[in-house]
Amino acid sequence: MRALLILCVLAAMSLNAHGAEFHIAIITASDQEQPVRGQSFAGIQTQIDRPVHRAAELALHESSTSFSVFNITPVLRAINLDASANYHSQLKGLHPDSLVIVDTPEDTFIELTHILNQLGLITVNVRHTSPHLRDSLCMETLYHTIPSDRMYFDALVQFLIYSNWRKVLVIHGPSEVDHARAETLNNSLLKFGADVSDVREFTLSHHPDDRDNNKPEFITGGASYDVVAVVDTARDFGRYIQYRTRRARPVVGDVGLVPRGWHRTLERYGAPQLNERYRVFDSQTQLPASEAMSDAEFATWSAIKLITNSLNTIGTGTESLSVKSIMEHPDAQVDLYKGTRGSVRRWNHQLRQPILLTTADAVIAVAPMPKFLHPHHYVDTLGLDEPESVCQLD
Amino acid sequence: MVYSRKLHGVQAGLTACLAMMLFSQAYAFEAYITNERSGDLVSIDYDGKAVHVQPICNRPRGMVKGLESNQLLIACSDDNKVIRLNIQTQVVEQTFDNMRGAMTLAIHRASHRLFITNEGEAQATVLDLRTGEVLAELPTGLEPDGIAVTADGTRIFVASENAGLVHVFDAATYTQTATIITHLRPRRVALLGDRLWVSSEMGSRVEIFSTDTYAKTDEVIFAPKGFRSEQMTPVDILFDHTGTLAFVALGSANHVAFVNIETLEIEKYILVGRRAWGLGLSPDNQSLIVLNGLSDDFTIIDIESRRPRVTRQAGLIPHAIEVFE
Repeated sequence: MRALLILCVLAAMSLNAHGAEFHIAIITASDQEQPVRGQSFAGIQTQIDRPVHRAAELALHESSTSFSVFNITPVLRAINLDASANYHSQLKGLHPDSLVIVDTPEDTFIELTHILNQLGLITVNVRHTSPHLRDSLCMETLYHTIPSDRMYFDALVQFLIYSNWRKVLVIHGPSEVDHARAETLNNSLLKFGADVSDVREFTLSHHPDDRDNNKPEFITGGASYDVVAVVDTARDFGRYIQYRTRRARPVVGDVGLVPRGWHRTLERYGAPQLNERYRVFDSQTQLPASEAMSDAEFATWSAIKLITNSLNTIGTGTESLSVKSIMEHPDAQVDLYKGTRGSVRRWNHQLRQPILLTTADAVIAVAPMPKFLHPHHYVDTLGLDEPESVCQLD
Repeated sequence: MVYSRKLHGVQAGLTACLAMMLFSQAYAFEAYITNERSGDLVSIDYDGKAVHVQPICNRPRGMVKGLESNQLLIACSDDNKVIRLNIQTQVVEQTFDNMRGAMTLAIHRASHRLFITNEGEAQATVLDLRTGEVLAELPTGLEPDGIAVTADGTRIFVASENAGLVHVFDAATYTQTATIITHLRPRRVALLGDRLWVSSEMGSRVEIFSTDTYAKTDEVIFAPKGFRSEQMTPVDILFDHTGTLAFVALGSANHVAFVNIETLEIEKYILVGRRAWGLGLSPDNQSLIVLNGLSDDFTIIDIESRRPRVTRQAGLIPHAIEVFE
């Protein structure tokens, strides 16, 4: 208990001039991006996808005091891949101890993780939420700071059980991703003992022949349920279900009450300061008050802060910074401004974190919900726990 | 028979009444609580009853007793000012403007200086309370919160929540002389002899540093039954008047810890309200008042029996408390 711990303390004057460098690379592939707008048209945007760079710059801005104390110089590189050229040759020039943040479509992402793994580079997924990727891309070099769909849906289902809304009508879209995510939702519903009253697939048309599947009043009819859970990755249809359900029931999932990693209206845990900084830290590009980090941006910010916060918790000293050794260290930790610190699940390298249950303008709850207890770690009731994970890295 | 029983009843009643009068005289106090969301100042008595509620300013947070015994200094974060309230007349007697995002206050009475952390500005301000003059602006890491000044008024300690540092400043030259690296999200700093206690909200511990070498000498890690380490989010630290016990509010763990200062053993965890963070101690060392930030209430603990005595509603988001005789 009274272990004498003498850790790094330094007088600001005595800093050595030969500091370390902290290399960060952000990899994008803009010519492979498809505008995410499902089958909506006429320029109507249902999701805003900003590049993650601003969040990276914010994380570096926030870490500037730490950098001066630890005598570290951050080096941020942005690489936008040329799809017509060899990826390996475009990446091999990266510093061998970089934090490589990848924000590309899934196919490219999978390809890149293998190349980066060969190069021995620490790679961070800040975009893809599929739990399948956590299981199938089981690599020592790969980390996921974006929550998995399993974390999002576990958080949502905990909220449903906590609210005693146990009977759930699931409505999902027709795409492959919608099917996969509906399956993930189903696993979460099973895990926490919800009752699935029915699973239905909507059709995006107005044709009278399809009305059982295209009219919200019809697709939500003929069943008994406490709540409607919608899986609609492209935001084509789900946003028309609220207020048009046959029974007067709340809508959750991709619309209504939405589980998120970050939100502009979180008002506790220092979150207002972080949101304010995100908007104004760069005097050239200030954002309006309605803007906040997307989950991908928050995941990017989290990855960089995991490194800089861990300088304190691991106490690696002041003259070196190794991205690799910090990411592999069991005491790597990050202050996420969500009331509980973040750390890395050693079995699949997922960043553990609370999940916010949000509406358009409020955070309704922060999961884990009360009474959902885990034997080892407070937030490990969310997502693939060690026994459930196919990936077993440690 | 009936008559005499009645008499006994009256006697018993009188005795109880007298006892209560003596009791409340012995233990009486008046405490002031800032409520950061409802923007008011609530004064409570020994029983936790609200004596007076006064709308005070926008987002009142840190407080400290002023130079005179009837003065209370209050940081009004969203009004960017610090005010001086006369608690007898309930009149705001002086306003110090341009104190951007004022959060936590510390005072050095002998040199009549007030030390203020400016949360949104990454700095602390040193103010001369007699002249109202700003003596210095001390640059810090982001989100400075806890601030303390040594008894001899020579050094200032400021915690930067975001940077995970405690900055040490010379209080004569106002230059930074050292940086103490802490665990995640250092919140409050408290000086005790040659030791600096720092609560690490996201590191779930209290770290103790030497004020001579700034080396870490000890740490206290909390583990009340039924909670996981990461739910320990300590904020306020308070020492009792006898130098025996330290009290630490454990935030999301909804407990307050009694720590033996000598052995650093955690002697008792007491269940209070949700997100326990602000702490106040009665001048007679008998009552510990815990502010519960998420359940909008406060719990008064009897220190001798180590039991909660009463829990009552505060305003919206009670933040800080100052206790007067």
